[in-house]
Amino acid sequence: MAQIELAGITKKFGDVTALRDIDLTVKDNEFFVLFGPAGAGKTTLLKTIAGAEFPEQGLVKINGEIVNHVESKDRNVSMVFENYALYPNLSVYDNIASPMRSKLYKKEEDYIEKAVDKVTKMMKINHLLERKPSQLSNGQRQRVALGRCLVREPNVFLMDEPLAHLDAKLRHFMRGELKEMQTSINSTTIYVTHDYMEAMSLADRIAVLNHGEIVQIGTAQEMYYTPENEFVACLFGEPEINILQVERHTDGGKVFFRMPGQNVSLYPAEDTQKSLLEALTDNIHIGIRGNDISFAFEKPGEDWIEGTVYANEPIGNKVIMTVKVEDIKMAVTCPNDTAADLDQKVYIRFNMKNAIYFNGETQEFITRNNMMRYTKRRREG
Amino acid sequence: MNQQKQKGMITILEPVGRNLGLTLFAMFALFPLIWMVICAFKSDAQMYNTVFRFTPTLENFQAVLVGSDYFRAFFQNLLVAGGAVIVTVIAGVPCAYALARYNFKKKEDVAFQILSFKFAPEIMVILPIFLIFQKIGIYDTYFGLIWVYQLITMPLLIWVVRGYFEDISVEVEQAAQLDGYTWYEVFFKTLIPLIKPGLVASALLAFIFAWNSFTFPLILSSSKVQTITITALRYIASDTVHYGQVAVASTIAVLPEVIVALFIQKHLVRGLSFGAVKG
Repeated sequence: MAQIELAGITKKFGDVTALRDIDLTVKDNEFFVLFGPAGAGKTTLLKTIAGAEFPEQGLVKINGEIVNHVESKDRNVSMVFENYALYPNLSVYDNIASPMRSKLYKKEEDYIEKAVDKVTKMMKINHLLERKPSQLSNGQRQRVALGRCLVREPNVFLMDEPLAHLDAKLRHFMRGELKEMQTSINSTTIYVTHDYMEAMSLADRIAVLNHGEIVQIGTAQEMYYTPENEFVACLFGEPEINILQVERHTDGGKVFFRMPGQNVSLYPAEDTQKSLLEALTDNIHIGIRGNDISFAFEKPGEDWIEGTVYANEPIGNKVIMTVKVEDIKMAVTCPNDTAADLDQKVYIRFNMKNAIYFNGETQEFITRNNMMRYTKRRREG
Repeated sequence: MNQQKQKGMITILEPVGRNLGLTLFAMFALFPLIWMVICAFKSDAQMYNTVFRFTPTLENFQAVLVGSDYFRAFFQNLLVAGGAVIVTVIAGVPCAYALARYNFKKKEDVAFQILSFKFAPEIMVILPIFLIFQKIGIYDTYFGLIWVYQLITMPLLIWVVRGYFEDISVEVEQAAQLDGYTWYEVFFKTLIPLIKPGLVASALLAFIFAWNSFTFPLILSSSKVQTITITALRYIASDTVHYGQVAVASTIAVLPEVIVALFIQKHLVRGLSFGAVKG
């Protein structure tokens, strides 16, 4: 297996810059997830490593060796394409066997049969071996593509949304299989997804991409608890994190916040005071997740904010209640038996201990409570 | 009861009506061919004064086939048309691939230029080509005809095959390369099988067009290379027109086309309707 390094990669398609000055090191045996919205450049980055796209600037290194001018067939990488890229004229069996039949990675037919059998059994497509790709559903095609990728022993597995078209149950199962396989065969894997749960559950480390640039690299924990900016904070977690625009006030050296039009003061945790006092602006955004908001239907005290129920969506193990305070909507995670009428009055209070603070002008991360705990890993890594 | 009866009538009448309609159309479509075959068996004397009742004779066949150079022209036509198609396939497939895959300046203009060769009436360019051919000494040669036939055969093939290449996603090629195949292996083992329906259909159609070509061989060849379309004309002599012999010559000339058409009709419809390679 191998270590992948990218140094200053820039890739343009005509006038559009798909990747801008990407620096990235994926360690040996790491499960690395590229995460970001559609059009962020994830697939292009993957293809650059595969050698299917060539960067205008920058170096691609596999195991320390510069491979910019190595053809993709000689890079010994294995890839799952988002649109499957199966050979329409070959059967499922021949599709999966294809990498083991090329001159470069030739294997005996006996070996091929065993390998195909193993991988198709794992993905539950061993009853489809004789079919052509056109006779398969999208989920089955995706599994064939994944199978063709997994039968090899490459330097690195590149996977472009390999589970996107599977149904929820199968996706969950395959996620487990991939993680298990990754640890058992010690492979380096670079995995593209736009599903934050997939990213968080699989990744050793995650890189968040936006507009062809890397916004943040770190563990799932870091992404969730110490996001570099509001963009990253909004990507992770369901319901999406609530961003409150507040004004900073000081009273005898103590910082507190007020939401515009509300007279309830919000007091940040002790160990965030210093950073918040030093922040260069009075315009602060507070990121607070749905499960850090308490709610009550009768006013429990003066420090609770009044709002109305805007929507109430039960999603099985919990209920997402959207509360409207003035014109601001906030998602609150509630227990699954919560019943509420629309426009009913509701009172909420923020658990400020878990609040994340952003600079309201730059939307960059300022601080949060218990920084030490969440950044310890980062320093070790 | 009454309704059931009516229904029964309809189930009987419907296929009858349909077959009647189809028969009428078949007669309409085939009549010229039948007429040609009938003429082939008539003597010159009976050509004008009989319709269906005549004494069949083989003298036309004898006049055309025995001791003449008709078969020479037949095989020369085969050679020229076949040669033209082979050149078209060898040069046209890579050209179609380039037009489908690579981005270069004025790509669409080049593609349209190729297609526009097909629009231009042959008669428009024939005079300059005739003069040039005479100058560079390829008048009345196989090489010259095969070359100029590319105007007929190449545009069609390039446009059909290009559509096929565009239908194959680039990722399929990339996947094959990642699987460890060289570009040539990818091209011949993966791409060619995928474009085959279109390639076969357009190549055979190109063959038919080349086989039928009349203007080019009329002007650009004379005695050494003679195609069958020109030979068939020879029976229109200055004193009299031997319609029977013209009919024999054309009947035999049409045979390869009929065979080819029967052989490919299934592929032709599928091959020329794009999008057949979706995986």
